[in-house]
Amino acid sequence: MNEHVISKQPAGRAQTAPRPSGHAGRIAVRTVMWLFLLATALLTLFPLLMTLTGSLKTGAEMMTGGSLLPAKLQFANYAEAWKQANFARYTWNSAFMSVMVTVGTLLVASMAAYVVDRRDFPGKRIYVTVQASMMFISVGAIVLRPQFDLMVALHLNTTLWGVILILVSAHSSTFFMLQGFFKAIPRELDEAAMVDGSGFIRTFFRIILPLLTPGLGVAGLFAFRHSWNEYILPLVFTMTNPKLQTLTVGLANLRYGSSAAMQIHLMMAGACLSILPMLLAYILANKTFIQVTAGSVKG
Amino acid sequence: MIYKWRRLGENSLFLAPSIILTLILGIYPLFWMLRYMFYDYAGYGEALFVGLDNFRRLLRDGLFWESVRNTFVFAGGKLLLTLPLSLLLAVILNGKLRGSNLLRGIYFMPTVISTAVISVVFYNIFNSYNGMVNTVLMKLHLVSQPIDWLGPKHAMLTVIIVAVWGAVGNYMLLFLAGLQSIPQDLYESAAIDGANAGRRFWNITLPMLAPVAQMVIMLAIIASLKGYESIMVITEGGPIGKTEVMYLYLYKLLFPVSTGSPVAQQLGYGSAVGFASALIVGAVTGLYFFFSRKMNKVY
Repeated sequence: MNEHVISKQPAGRAQTAPRPSGHAGRIAVRTVMWLFLLATALLTLFPLLMTLTGSLKTGAEMMTGGSLLPAKLQFANYAEAWKQANFARYTWNSAFMSVMVTVGTLLVASMAAYVVDRRDFPGKRIYVTVQASMMFISVGAIVLRPQFDLMVALHLNTTLWGVILILVSAHSSTFFMLQGFFKAIPRELDEAAMVDGSGFIRTFFRIILPLLTPGLGVAGLFAFRHSWNEYILPLVFTMTNPKLQTLTVGLANLRYGSSAAMQIHLMMAGACLSILPMLLAYILANKTFIQVTAGSVKG
Repeated sequence: MIYKWRRLGENSLFLAPSIILTLILGIYPLFWMLRYMFYDYAGYGEALFVGLDNFRRLLRDGLFWESVRNTFVFAGGKLLLTLPLSLLLAVILNGKLRGSNLLRGIYFMPTVISTAVISVVFYNIFNSYNGMVNTVLMKLHLVSQPIDWLGPKHAMLTVIIVAVWGAVGNYMLLFLAGLQSIPQDLYESAAIDGANAGRRFWNITLPMLAPVAQMVIMLAIIASLKGYESIMVITEGGPIGKTEVMYLYLYKLLFPVSTGSPVAQQLGYGSAVGFASALIVGAVTGLYFFFSRKMNKVY
């Protein structure tokens, strides 16, 4: 066989060998396969459906378990969660933190990736090696402690800026992703701009970055998802400052509330409020999420 | 000459944010840990040099070794369920299938949702007396008594189920990416030679997928040994330490306040635990790499 022949068939179309074996057997296999696929899909959706229906039940209905569907739709849960359980504040904090982290990460990583891709400088290999190892070295919560102490020393622990800086500092995967996108932009473009008298910084911000928009979009989506879903870091930073809690932290903390048992319906409404934005972004950008998964392994 | 200095200045300017952030928030914390693991340090007051005392204590620390055992049970259970399931889904979805894109979208969805938030939801639906899981199981007459999902007997199973739920879609997608890079003519020539679907799977798909699978499995191992976010939200390591995993134990030594744990804050000992935990993850990864090295060869 020749491995170098480029397949004429589109990727994803697989084995279509004619099978002489029984028609009935094939139907049985297909049925089992579809049952398996549908069962898996249902199990995947189950917790989300529970969240949605739970968010529309009364507290009493949640307490007794009971039926899957709410007896009467309680849209007031959302208003109550938004106001009483302070989800307005949590949402603002989450949005502020995530937007700042996304902008910061893209800026820091794209500048570094541009220089590394276009130019040679002493220590380049060391820099790239360090960035690569930053993705793998992990000593768990231990690094949080010195990071936290540093932010206290800088008086950044009373705002979300401490969390933002720490999240931006973990930009190595974005760096490698963007470096890949830079490679696709021809160098002649930079040179032409320079010949026309545009300086290095100007060329980068005016010519190259606009061309990188698709890449920035993908990387930004991933950075945003990561910071929107971050839990441990904002939890540590808001222990003494509940006003800074993000959605993830605020929601999980509702469990510890004195009347938590009474508030399950509010927790479900809150969970919907925090899941929905990401879910919407996901549905709109489904292709992007599915195609670019390298470097963002979670699980 | 001026030109050269100017280039150097531009390079430094573009790299500075990345380098400064990495140094201060990425590398400094590692050295902080390496230093304090030889000290008796509570996080306030004076740090006392104690040499290897922290490591002697670690060897005798029953709670730590219990958490190591739990980590392996958790990771083992999660991997045993996640990897075959995600590979199976990937193989099915790689074929010609109506609705394949929609199914991919559904299976991958858990990956875009915050682990902490969905864990709050799972905590509620696994509740023993009013949780939806028990309600559904009893309505289907599969069980007569509600199961105590969060009790000492089943808590580990519950956190594994939640972890599998969150991970299958991700690994499915990585396997799928690997499957799509297998040249189609291999299948065609095999079909002409009369190989049936089973043979094609064993003799083409598996060996051709091996290098990708090696990487994917390694990422899965690392992720499952390190994950503690969902366990922290669902059980906090309880009941009676049944779901306490390595990195959660470490977190509790460093930030006891946020979990309401009665343990005193111990940064020196925590550093030693963090170092040992990272070493264990590293050793497992290394062993896996050694034993799986054959998978790297494609022929």
